[in-house]
Parts: sequence; structure tokens; C-alpha cells
Amino acid sequence: MSLTPLHAIFALMSLFTVGGAVGVVLNRNLIYAAMYLVLSLFGIAGLFILLEAPFLAAVQILVYVGAISVLITITVMVTRCVFCKEPPPRQLTLVAVMAALVMVTLGFVIMTRFGGLTPAADVPADSIEQLGVAFVNPQAYLVPFEVASILLLGALIGAIFIARDDLPRDEEAVGGDDHA
Amino acid sequence: MSDFVIFLIDAAVKAVLIIVGLVLGFAYTTWLERRFIARLQSRVGPNRAGPAGLLQPWADALKLFFKEDIMPTDADRIIYTLAPAVTSVPALIVLGVVPFGGQISLFGYQTTLGLADINVGVLYIVAVTSIAVYGVVLAGWASSNKYAMMGGLRATAQMISYELAMGLAILAPVMMAASMSMSDIIDAQQNIWFVFLQPIAAVIFYITILAETNRSPFDLPEAEQELVAGYHTEYSGMKFASFFMAEYMKMIAVSAIFSALFLGGYRFFGLENLLGGWMGPIILFVKIVASLAFMVWIRATLPRFRYDKLMAFGWKVLLPLSLANAVVTAVLIVLDIIPSFA
Amino acid sequence: MLTESVPLMQAVVPVLPEMGLLLLLILVLMHGVFSPKESRRTVCVITGVGFFTLMVIHLSVGFNFVGDPDFSGSGLGDIVRVDAFAVMFRAMILLAAALTCLMSGESRAINRRVEFYVALIVAALGMCLMVAANDLILVYVALETASVSLYIMAGFQRDSKLSSEAGLKYYLFGAVTSAILLYGLSLIFGFTGETNFSRLGPALSALTANGSEGVFALVVALLLVLVGLGFKVAVVPFHFWTPDVYEGSPTPSVAFISTASKAASFGLLVRFFSIVWPAEMIPYWAGLLAALAAITMTLGNMLALVQKNIKRMLGYSSIAQAGYALIGVVALSDTELGAAAVAFYMAMYVLTNLAAFAVISAVEWNTGSVQIADYAGLSRRSFPLAIVMVVAMLSLGGVPPAAGFFGKFFLFSAAVDAGYTWLAIIGVVNAIIALFYYLTVIKVMFVGKAEDESRYTIRPRLAVVLWVTGVGILLMGTLASPWWRWAVEASQQLTVMLP
Repeated sequence: MSLTPLHAIFALMSLFTVGGAVGVVLNRNLIYAAMYLVLSLFGIAGLFILLEAPFLAAVQILVYVGAISVLITITVMVTRCVFCKEPPPRQLTLVAVMAALVMVTLGFVIMTRFGGLTPAADVPADSIEQLGVAFVNPQAYLVPFEVASILLLGALIGAIFIARDDLPRDEEAVGGDDHA
Repeated sequence: MSDFVIFLIDAAVKAVLIIVGLVLGFAYTTWLERRFIARLQSRVGPNRAGPAGLLQPWADALKLFFKEDIMPTDADRIIYTLAPAVTSVPALIVLGVVPFGGQISLFGYQTTLGLADINVGVLYIVAVTSIAVYGVVLAGWASSNKYAMMGGLRATAQMISYELAMGLAILAPVMMAASMSMSDIIDAQQNIWFVFLQPIAAVIFYITILAETNRSPFDLPEAEQELVAGYHTEYSGMKFASFFMAEYMKMIAVSAIFSALFLGGYRFFGLENLLGGWMGPIILFVKIVASLAFMVWIRATLPRFRYDKLMAFGWKVLLPLSLANAVVTAVLIVLDIIPSFA
Repeated sequence: MLTESVPLMQAVVPVLPEMGLLLLLILVLMHGVFSPKESRRTVCVITGVGFFTLMVIHLSVGFNFVGDPDFSGSGLGDIVRVDAFAVMFRAMILLAAALTCLMSGESRAINRRVEFYVALIVAALGMCLMVAANDLILVYVALETASVSLYIMAGFQRDSKLSSEAGLKYYLFGAVTSAILLYGLSLIFGFTGETNFSRLGPALSALTANGSEGVFALVVALLLVLVGLGFKVAVVPFHFWTPDVYEGSPTPSVAFISTASKAASFGLLVRFFSIVWPAEMIPYWAGLLAALAAITMTLGNMLALVQKNIKRMLGYSSIAQAGYALIGVVALSDTELGAAAVAFYMAMYVLTNLAAFAVISAVEWNTGSVQIADYAGLSRRSFPLAIVMVVAMLSLGGVPPAAGFFGKFFLFSAAVDAGYTWLAIIGVVNAIIALFYYLTVIKVMFVGKAEDESRYTIRPRLAVVLWVTGVGILLMGTLASPWWRWAVEASQQLTVMLP
């Protein structure tokens, strides 16, 4: 097996992903940790591109980097004392041992199961169209797709309720005395 | 030479051209803005450096180069330095998927004018614009200054809010062209531009790109009067220039994208095939300049939004409107009432 | 045009309750937005009646169509599988939701806040899909839909630190375990390239057929999946959230979390374990679950013994109950009676816990207390409340006239059938230990004396809950056989492969 530029790109992207993840865990400054998370998510997007899944790569960046991580960053900024660089408490040893254990087990499983796999059939040219059709085809993934939107609606309403600080006065005060 | 090397050289040359074009474009967009806004305000504008002030941008650049680079003591050194770069990168790379011409032939070598015509081009654009916010928010945080911080947070909230409407507005041309590739969308407008078929989407998109680039009337993140220039208050010299540059490059980039999505891109009813295909970039250039001039006009005309009004406008007007537009478009296409140019 | 057409009925009937819930959701949201403040108190009745109507419709439609392959979900690409088992569990969930609505109208923390009912409907929708899910993707989406709403319900009382703590704890535990579950599911998908349960079974047995490597890989996937599902049903190493959530959350939320959520998770667990895992895996998962069941029962009961707060006590009790129900899943390795026993047990458990929490919320309304000591003299302060509580405690303890007796009886006999006699013996010993703390509550109610023995008021809506659950428990406990036969039929349909 000869090395191709793809191998180099794969190595780089893996480095971003894994290195970013390690950075998230080890960094004591939460903003830095968030930035490492962004790096890691970028690496995953790169891996998607290598897998010929540009749609997933773009969505990965749009959703995880462009939306979720931005919110994480803002949350970190507005919750802790904004400018101080005080580290959060942590218990590293136990976690490291657990993580190593899980990694070895999963690594073994993945190496034995997927080690010798050859790539599947070529990615069809219209894979994005197929994906789109699968989402709206009742014979495919219509139900989970629609349920996901209900999940988001529920989460949205709940989050607004939990987070907003100006519930109408009378409702906050009365509690249950609607019979009185 | 192997195909792969040719491909690499081809891509590298085009990438360099795009970047050089954007940087030069930035320089002269500032000139355009200053001259044009001066006219709108019955002034003359910069006219001393070179004929019609054409050398003014170079003078400015020189000045900024030699300015002292100051960093606040409490600033986070790494992120403070990184933030201007992080802001510029999305502005530089977003044009990668926009074709600026058709097939041309150069010394017998056939190539397309455009870096990469990927099949998820539109999604790429939305994704790259969505990460543009990092530079701003990080600059605000790293400066250790509450005005900068406020500016950064405002920018983030604003960009996130308007991104949604932007994405939904883009859906309309995507559905009309039945493709997410920019060249397919441009090809679908050979006979009629989407700005006529999708006026609501076009207007919403234009408003949201103003917000995404922090242009007036959405320039709250850098509101001079309330936030002393917002997230880049603490920046000086070339780092400040990078922010400035990023903003103008973003203006150019989004103008190009707007042209591609709604104004037929480099096409002008067959005219683009003149000069062996080299007319295409010229047509696109004219469209971009028109769009930039429009932005300057808006800046000279409209006062800045109040912050809560800005948010309310984004969430309560633009978002429902763009959503409704997307739904109506989809239904009309499925019912074959308006044609899909697939 | 894009998709081949599916007859409308085939696409709609399998998800009828979900569609009904969606309509109800829209109705409740509109009610919250447009109706004047004074009339908003009716929202709990509207939602409750809606749930109840949906349950009746679902049962009548379900009985007509069950077994008809056209209406079993094949119209939806076999992503949902609507068999008698799913119908039974969906009915439990909808009933629990309906009764929770009536209860929450009487809670100071919730009352007429529309958001609670929105969360309740979304949760019920997710759970209804959980018990019918036949595809890994739907399993995960449905599970998350249910979970996210439950987090909101747990932390609903925003002015209470305990409730916020409950919501946050539930959410953090839930998020982590569901990520682990997702990893397990993705491994299973990675091994086979399939997400559909019906096709996963054969694909996984092909995997185990080629050596111990495949079995080991599947055991790892099994462990990861068990973390996620174990959290949902509160099995022992993943039970830490239970007492705090039970103590801190508003009582109606706890009632719903402890009944519907547990029933839905067990429905999913039973379907997953009876279809997906190939025969070679049985010794692994059955052994593992048996061990978990034994530990869960014992630990739950031991910790429940020392509780002073009745909600916390019921929290530990619910851990123990999950342990009992797990015996049925273990028995599934050998006999489908295991599934029937779990179904029956869950039906009885839903009614019983709802009864207990209805009493708790009535007492909380009158005294504001949830300490067991404050139940002293309940028999004199409100005899009906005390009676319902007695029935509920006897049922939880497994004492004959109440439904719990048959629940445990079927579970243990299924275990013996499957060759897990030792597990049945541990279960019986545990049931005896558990009687102690259930009977303590009864003792306090009847023997204990309170300084102030003024009478409690019971609001009409809560009276409905008390009646329905109390009568239901006794009915299931005395006329168990029709319910049991239904459960057995349901369990037989579980493994029927569609053509």
C-alpha cells in the first residue's frame, strides 16, 4: 500500500479531531477548550469530505461549528466571570483510567471488526438527492425526520420557559389558587 | 506533467487570483465608499492622493502598516492575535464555490473560471458565513474590555439571528434550480433572473447579508457612539486593518453571492460568451460594484437600528416571512405552477 | 413524483396516536396563546380529556387492525411496528399522561402553565414511538424526544432550587448516557449496515457465526446500549439520578416520569432484546441482566428502608421495581412469557404509582409536606386518601387483593420457567424486605397521631385520578386473567416476522 496525498490529509484531519478532543479535556481555560472543540469538529468535517460526503461535511460545519459551538462559547462567556481565567475543578486520574479502558476496548472491537474492510460501493453521484428523498419518503425515514422536528419544538418551548426571567407576575405568584 | 499536478497548479492559481482580487477589491471598495458617500452628502471626498484620490487606499495601507501595534495588558495574547486572522479567513474562502465565468481557453489550456463548483455550494456558503462570527466574538473576549465584549456578544446574537432567515431565503433559488451547486443556479437564470421570480427571497437575502457583514443599518456591533467601535476597540495597526479588511472583503463576497443567486451571476443573456468567455468576469464585476454602491447608498440613507428592534425584526419579521416564502415556493413548484429549472 | 405512493390508511393508522398528539399539541399551544387568562385553567382538563380520547380511539382502532400486516407499520417502511404489544404500552402511556394532567391542575408548581402540558404531550409522543420503534434511528429520536421533555418537566418549578437541581441532574445524566447509547447503536449499525430491527437480527447472527471476535464486539455494543436504556429505567449502576429527581421535581412530573417513562423504556427494552440479539448472544445479555436485576432489587429496597421523604422513598422503590421488571426481560431469553410478565407488571405499576403520587399530591396540596411522618393520622383526616394509599402500597409490595401480587407472581413464574429459579428466589426475598417500608407508610397513616387532625379537601379532578387508579388496581388484582391473556397474546406477536 503506497501513501497518497489522501493519507496525509487523513492523518492531518485525524490529528485535528483527536488533538482537538484532547485539548478540550485538558485545557483549564474554558474558552480555549471551546476553541479546541471547534478544531475537533472541523477535523470531523474534513473526515466527512474524505468519505465523499460533502453534504454531511457542510452540515457538520454549519450546525456544530457555526451554531452549537458558538452558543457554547457565548454560554461560557456570559456565565463565568467573563475575563478571569480561573480553572474549573477536575479529577483527572480516575477519568483518564476510565477513558483509557474504554479506548482500548473499543479500539480492539473496531480494529478486529473493521480492520480489513474494503470500501463499499462508490458513492452515487446523486447521493444528496437520495438523502433528501429518504427524509420525505414514508417508506424510508419520514417518521424519524418529522419526530426530530417535534423534538426540537418541544425543546425550544421548554428552554424558553426554563430560561426566561419575566414570567407574567400573576402566574408566578398565584401558584395553584385558581379555585379560590 | 500528471493530471494531479496540473489540477493543483490550476487550483492554486485560481485561489491566488481570488485572494488578490478580494484584497485589491477591498482597497478600492473603501475608495468607492468614501467617494460615493461624500457625493451623497454633498462633499468631495478623498481626492488628493492620485487622480480622483485613486491612490488613497495605498496611502491608508502604508499608514496602518507603520502604526504601533498595541496590546492591552490583560488581553489573552494568543486569541487576541488570532482573532483578526479568524475573521479574515471566512471572507477569503467563501468565494471558492462561486463561478466567475464560463469555459475559457488560455494558451490552449481549457479551464472554467471558478475555483471549485461543488454540489453543495450553497451549503458551503452558509456554513462558511456561520463561522465568520468567531473572529468577532473572540476579539471581543480577548480584549478584556467590556465595550469590546458587548460588541462581540451583540455581533454573535445578530449574526445567529439573521443566519436563519438567510438560509431560508437561499432555499428559494435552490428549490427553483433544484440544485445546490452555484453554477447550476446561475445556469437556471439564463432566461430570467431569480430576483424577478423570487423578489421576497431576494430582498430578505439582501437584508440579511447587510446584517451578516455588520453593515449599516445593522452595524450595532461596532456602533461608534455607544460602544466606542465595539469588538475592535482595543485593536490598532495591522490587526485593526485586518478587521477592516475582513468587513469589506465580506461585502464583496456577499455581493458576488447575491449576484450569483439572484442576478444571474456572470451571465447576462448570452453576452458573457463574448471575448472568448472573458466577458463573464466583467459582467460579474459590474454587478458586484452595483451591489456595493447600493450598500453605501443604504448606509448614507438609513439610521442604525435600536438593538431590541433589530432582534425583533430578525425573529418576528424576517424569519416568518422567509419561512412562508420557502413554503409557498415549495408548494408552487410541486404543483407545477411556477417552473423548476431542473 | 419523488416517492412511490403508499395508501393513506397504511401510512396513517400505525401512527394514529402520534398524529392525534400532534393535533392536541397544536390545540394546547393555541389555547395558551389566544384564550384569556381566566379560562386558561381548563388547559389541564382539555389535555387530559384529549389524552383519554386518544387512548380510547387507539384501543378501538388497535383492536381492529392488530395482526393485519397492512396496518402494522409496513406502510411506513417498517420503521414502526404496531402490534398488540405496542398497542398495550401506548395505552398505558396515554392513560398515565391523562391522569398526570388531572393531577397537575392541582399542583402549585404547575397549575395552568401551558408549557408543562406541551412538554407532557411531546414526551408522550416520544414514548408512544419508543414502544413501537422498529428501527435504530427511530429508537434514538423517540428516546430523545421523550427525554428532553422529561428534563423540562423535572426542572419545571423554576423558583425551587430542588427542582432546578433535579432538572439539571436528570439532564446531565441523561445527555451522557444517551451519547453512550448512541455509540452502541452506531456500533451495531457499523457491524451490519442495517438499522431495521427485523433485518438486524439475521445480520447480527451472521456476525456471531464467524467466531468469538464477533461475539465480543457485540458484547461491547450491548454494554453501551445497556448504559442508555439502564439509565432510562433506573437500573443500579445508572440509578443515581432517581432519588434526587423524585424528591425535587413537581409531584405530577415525578408521577409521569416514574410511570410512563419507565413503561416506555421497558417496552423498548423488551422489543429490542426479543428481536435484535441473535441466539448466540443470549447467555451474555441474559446473564448480565440477571445480575443487574438482582443488584438493582436489593440495593433499591435497602436504600428505600431508611428514607424519611415519601417521594425519595418511592424513588428508591421505583429502582427496586425496575429490578423486578428486569427479571421478566431476563426470562425473555427462554420464554416469551417474560415479555407478557413485563407488560402486565408495567400496566399494574403505572396504575399503582399514579395512585401513590395522586395521594402524595393531595397531601402536598393540603400540608405542603412530603415527609412520611406527616402522613400520621391520614386515615382520620381523609379516609379515601388513606384507602387509596393502602391499595397502592399493598400493590407495590405485592400483597394479594392488589394487582402487584399477580404482577410479581407472573414475573417470578416466568423466571422459573426460563430456568432462573435463583433470580426468582432473590425476587421473593426482596419483596418481603420491601413490604417493611410499604407497610410502614400504612402504619403511620392509621396508627400515627397528628396534632392537627382537621380534614383534607380533595379536589374533584384528583378524585377522578384516585378512583380510576384505585379501582384499576383492584380490578387487575382480582380479575387478572383477561389482562394476562391480553399480555400473552401481545408477547406472542412480538417475535412474529412480517412477510
